[in-house]
Amino acid sequence: MRPPDWAVLVASVVIVTLYGLWRGRHSDNVDRYLRAERSLPWYAMALSIMATQASAITFISTTGQSYVDGMRFLQFYFGLPLAMILISAYVVPVFHRANVYTAYEYLEQRFDAKTRILVSLIFLIQRGLAVGVALSAPAIVLTVILGWPDRWTTLIMGAVVVFYTVMGGIQAVTWTDFQQMFIMLAGLFLALATAVLLLPPQVSFLDAMTLAGAAGKLNAVTLRFDWNDQFNLWSGLFGGMFLMLAYFGCDQSQVQRYLTGKSITQSRLSLLFNAVAKLPMQFFILFTGAMVFVFFTFEMPPAVFQREALARASRQAAFPDVQKKFAMRFEERKRAAMSLIEARRNRDADLLGKRAAEYREAQKQFEVARNEALRLAREASGEPSLNDANYIFLTFVTRYLPAGLVGLVMAAIFAAAMSTISAEINSLATVTVIDIYRRHICRSGSDRHYLVVSRLATALWGAYAIVTAQYARNLGSLIVVVNQVGSLFYGGLLGVFVLAFACKRVNGTAAFTGVLCGEMAIFAAHFYGKIAFLWYNMIGCVVVVGSALLVSAHIERKRRQLHG
Amino acid sequence: MVRAPFDEPPPFLGSWKRVYAAVAIYLAALIGLFYWFTRAFSR
Repeated sequence: MRPPDWAVLVASVVIVTLYGLWRGRHSDNVDRYLRAERSLPWYAMALSIMATQASAITFISTTGQSYVDGMRFLQFYFGLPLAMILISAYVVPVFHRANVYTAYEYLEQRFDAKTRILVSLIFLIQRGLAVGVALSAPAIVLTVILGWPDRWTTLIMGAVVVFYTVMGGIQAVTWTDFQQMFIMLAGLFLALATAVLLLPPQVSFLDAMTLAGAAGKLNAVTLRFDWNDQFNLWSGLFGGMFLMLAYFGCDQSQVQRYLTGKSITQSRLSLLFNAVAKLPMQFFILFTGAMVFVFFTFEMPPAVFQREALARASRQAAFPDVQKKFAMRFEERKRAAMSLIEARRNRDADLLGKRAAEYREAQKQFEVARNEALRLAREASGEPSLNDANYIFLTFVTRYLPAGLVGLVMAAIFAAAMSTISAEINSLATVTVIDIYRRHICRSGSDRHYLVVSRLATALWGAYAIVTAQYARNLGSLIVVVNQVGSLFYGGLLGVFVLAFACKRVNGTAAFTGVLCGEMAIFAAHFYGKIAFLWYNMIGCVVVVGSALLVSAHIERKRRQLHG
Repeated sequence: MVRAPFDEPPPFLGSWKRVYAAVAIYLAALIGLFYWFTRAFSR
């Protein structure tokens, strides 16, 4: 990074942090600190919801995912608008009228204390596992740029986020999210524009689309149904809807955003804004990854995108041959790409089909050579799971973007990371204080006491995130890891809320048993089944509801027998 | 602080049902557009 990049990055972090502290300066009671006294407008909540979901992983990993696997990950979000409609219609009014701080507080009003604490603990485990992954993504950024050790990166990043979240509470979190979302959109737009502008002069935008499409990178919709396929239209619409229902309807890190709304209407509008804006934004991010792929069709990429792994691989005796083969395959693919472009311009359908097939074959051979280099890197590193997908976008940004723009894209990645982490530690602290501490440990403390405990809990969860981030680095494609971990727990969470909203006769014991059965079913599917993770949410939800209804019927039968 | 009434009509389209229907139609149109995009460029 050059001085203008550092200036942009540091200025954006400082300005956003100071603004957040200023907005949160009046957070001097628990209601203001955790719920902003239910005073926020829809646009602040809308962008906060969006920023919370768009983590640094979204930038780093989603673009890499698109480079490697094409745009089919887009289908993962197809169920989101449907989930937003259902949450707006049925969940938001209930939470608002219940006047709760957390979604799980409502479960005690509806069921009992044991169901509330079970679900709160599930949330704390699930979100606690994810927060470290969210913080590790910026560590990857600085490792690539500066070669700084991970532990320093996570410490500095984590300290900044924890500081403004502890001081300003939900007001600071929401209003920093609001600004961070604009930085993210600017960074994203400039990265995409640069990827297209840096293509060779003889390659037009339409040529680039043709090349990306022929290589299977623009596969935004797959109609073929397959239980094992993670991303197709059906898993996205139905499996994705269940995951999004669980995430936006039952996960406190999102529920807390719209609990701050000044009315039901404001909260609903914030969710529906996301229903409309999320898919185009995700398309935009994935398309950027596809354009980076085209860029690297004409500009030779490193055989392995992770610099340290490449250095280790290059010390292997077999590396020169592998590198030579990689360079040769790259040139062959480049020639095939130019031939395909020429055929497209000549409008000869037969020739176009032939050239597209040749280009696809060249791409396949190039991938074989790249995988050979990756295999060497894995052997040299002693890390069989080493995956360089998370480093592709960063390599493009740091090597090819002009001064100033690198800083802005970095600022966007940092903004994305900070917005997610702050919301997560804020929600973890809220559940810890409201659902555990105030409910089971200290029931009669003063408002001042709970405010201090809330700040302390925020600081402790921040410290926990910093420590766990050290272990999250080599988990493969981070975006998939986060969603897979979430899917292990979301089915149970969603099931209990479906019971709460739709099954009036189910009582606390039945709901509690249902959640346990649902979680067992999900873990059984994960360890013994061959089902894509998006379906876990649906399976878990169905098992929770089904088993709770059975237990409820059994209890009812017993009761009737008892009363003759 | 004076609070707005809990449940108000939406600021556009007259009722929440119409707003939800509009979002569902928008989703269907978007998926159709993405499908066309996939077919148009995947040879």
